[in-house]
Amino acid sequence: MKIKKLLLTAFTLFFSFSLYAANTIKIGASMPLTGMFAVPGSKHLEGYKMCVDMINQNGGWLGKKVVLLGIDNRSDTETAISQYERFINVDKVDLVFGTFSSKLTFPTSTILAKYNYTLPIPSGGALRIYRRGFKNLFYFQSNPAEYYGKQLLGVVQDRASAEDQPKTVALVHADDFFANSIANGLLGNKVKLPGSGKLVEDMAPGYIAQAGMKLVYHEQWPEEGFSDWLTLANSIKNSGAEMVIGMMASPEEAVQLTRALKTVRHNPKHLMLTQGTQSEFLEGLGDATEGIMIYSAWHEKAPFNGTLAGKRMNNSDFVAKYKAMNGKLPDEDVAITFALCQGIDQAVNATRSVDNDRIMAWLHTRSSRNPVKTILGDYYWDATGLPINKQALIVQWQGRELKFIYPTNEFQASPIVSPKPAW
Amino acid sequence: MEILQVIILGLCLGFVYALMVSGLTLIFGVMRIVNLAHPILIISGAFVSYWLFILFGLDPILSVPAAALTVALLGVLLYKLIFEKNAAQQTYSEMTVLLTFGTAMVIDGLLAFLFHNTQRTASPAYATDAIFIGDIFIPLAQLYSGMVSLGIIVVLALFLKYSEFGIAIRATSQNRTSAELVGVNVKFVCLISFAIGCALAGSAGSLVSFVFSFFPSRHWEWIAILMSLVVLGGMGSLTGAVIGALVLSVVSSLVGAFYSPAWSTMVFFLALFLILIIRPRGLFGIRTD
Repeated sequence: MKIKKLLLTAFTLFFSFSLYAANTIKIGASMPLTGMFAVPGSKHLEGYKMCVDMINQNGGWLGKKVVLLGIDNRSDTETAISQYERFINVDKVDLVFGTFSSKLTFPTSTILAKYNYTLPIPSGGALRIYRRGFKNLFYFQSNPAEYYGKQLLGVVQDRASAEDQPKTVALVHADDFFANSIANGLLGNKVKLPGSGKLVEDMAPGYIAQAGMKLVYHEQWPEEGFSDWLTLANSIKNSGAEMVIGMMASPEEAVQLTRALKTVRHNPKHLMLTQGTQSEFLEGLGDATEGIMIYSAWHEKAPFNGTLAGKRMNNSDFVAKYKAMNGKLPDEDVAITFALCQGIDQAVNATRSVDNDRIMAWLHTRSSRNPVKTILGDYYWDATGLPINKQALIVQWQGRELKFIYPTNEFQASPIVSPKPAW
Repeated sequence: MEILQVIILGLCLGFVYALMVSGLTLIFGVMRIVNLAHPILIISGAFVSYWLFILFGLDPILSVPAAALTVALLGVLLYKLIFEKNAAQQTYSEMTVLLTFGTAMVIDGLLAFLFHNTQRTASPAYATDAIFIGDIFIPLAQLYSGMVSLGIIVVLALFLKYSEFGIAIRATSQNRTSAELVGVNVKFVCLISFAIGCALAGSAGSLVSFVFSFFPSRHWEWIAILMSLVVLGGMGSLTGAVIGALVLSVVSSLVGAFYSPAWSTMVFFLALFLILIIRPRGLFGIRTD
């Protein structure tokens, strides 16, 4: 009798689970929730969760509940690879969302291409990711990292007065896949594929040379475990650079570099960073943020229109919703993944399917007249998966707020603080 | 002049490292526990000081006792729960590697759950200030943290050398069985030593809270660096740990300034490899064979 009951219970549980599984659509996302990318990785997952929750509040996809499997890859490449393989082979996910950083995206994109899964990428701007002939990639930010230099220097050339134009520049960056890619563009290096050495693009003469500036200091710091920021800042100070460009994938490094530059009292005309839009940056530096320019994918005032679950979800709606939920402004890292999720939501609803081939085909056929519409703006991609006509934004800390300052043809830009006030 | 500047920066950072590592070496010396949870205990101390600073405006230097006490109590709890009952095991030292690794993961997860993996930095007014003497500058955050570290280490050294309980700790560290034979309550000494080691981690955490950014999973980066300092100085030697921290910190700064920051962290690992090959017991370690 007992055995009968046990079998019946087991069967009921199995049947209920199968029914539940059949009534859900599963998405896998391997995210760096601990380790060096913990801060942006956690915020990326927050954006995914917020979006998926809103989809479910509106009835899910195709009448099914959407389940997000977001797990921690410890910022580790091997773990991220095995987690995506597990998502596909064990969890049998329908779709995947991309991870954070070029470092993690490069290897995981190979795996996902092999399994023919659509890979929407939130953060993975290195050109090398997109030049391997994969058809499953869709990048949800702006131009690739190697091209960042154009805007990093362009904002100063176009918006700073003649006397604030820097003649010398110091370039410091993490020895990281993403930061090295930006440096390649600024320095005019040849971009090659790791392993094969195949030339991806020759960036010569480089944006610094094109801008007529002189590179007086160039240095890297190790990807992990670096703590001697004051010595680095002192070397930058000794170079006398009028403009400092700091490139990193982790906001923690942006705080440390800036604090060190302030401590040694190096006062460049302009300080430009690739991280630092996060609330943690403001918290760590306070008024010392004044005048610092940051490369960004998003701004709270951007008048971008989007949809989610068939309803309006403009950038202003997103900001209002996030503020109502959390009592504070969202960070760029939350907005990016929310936008990515909006894009996939539109693809699923348009194709009435979670079939990866159909979703890829639909995304590939987006155009300027019929783009994916998100809180980061409109998206349509070239054959490699890079967005077309998508400029990144340059923002500047002014009075403890992030103001949009460049490019001026996107939407209303604020006046620029130039030169950066002395510490 | 530049070399003097770099040495000053290296020394300031070195004293903080010395405090970070002193608890680790004490715990190993007395109990043979390779405490891989030590860095996450430092982070725990940093959180105590950070929140006292944010909520009550209490300077992180003034909150050193609070952080030390909190982490010491956490240490007592950990010791009672995890280490005490296994102390008699033959493979105790080896076991502690796994036990402390697991403990580190659990505390990491708890801290991340409570406070998220968001980076934190306490920012007292002096955190980005410096004294300028001609071309030389001394960063106040590093100077203050270095001085406090030095003070705590000196008090610890005096306590170990001259107090009755300190002598009991050293006796236990040198020969556990003999210490027991002459009437030392080894179990109690181990418990208090573990608590003191954790208190040192908490104190270091207070100072770390305004010298470095921190978040729960940051501790993984520090394990190897702290281990290299302990091994260089000699496992269990407080003097060795302090000298190891100062030497490696200065050398790392010199490499960063005159060669490349990309190689500065490598100094710690290179030292670890070299010392294990050339002199496995470290500079001040006692030969056990």
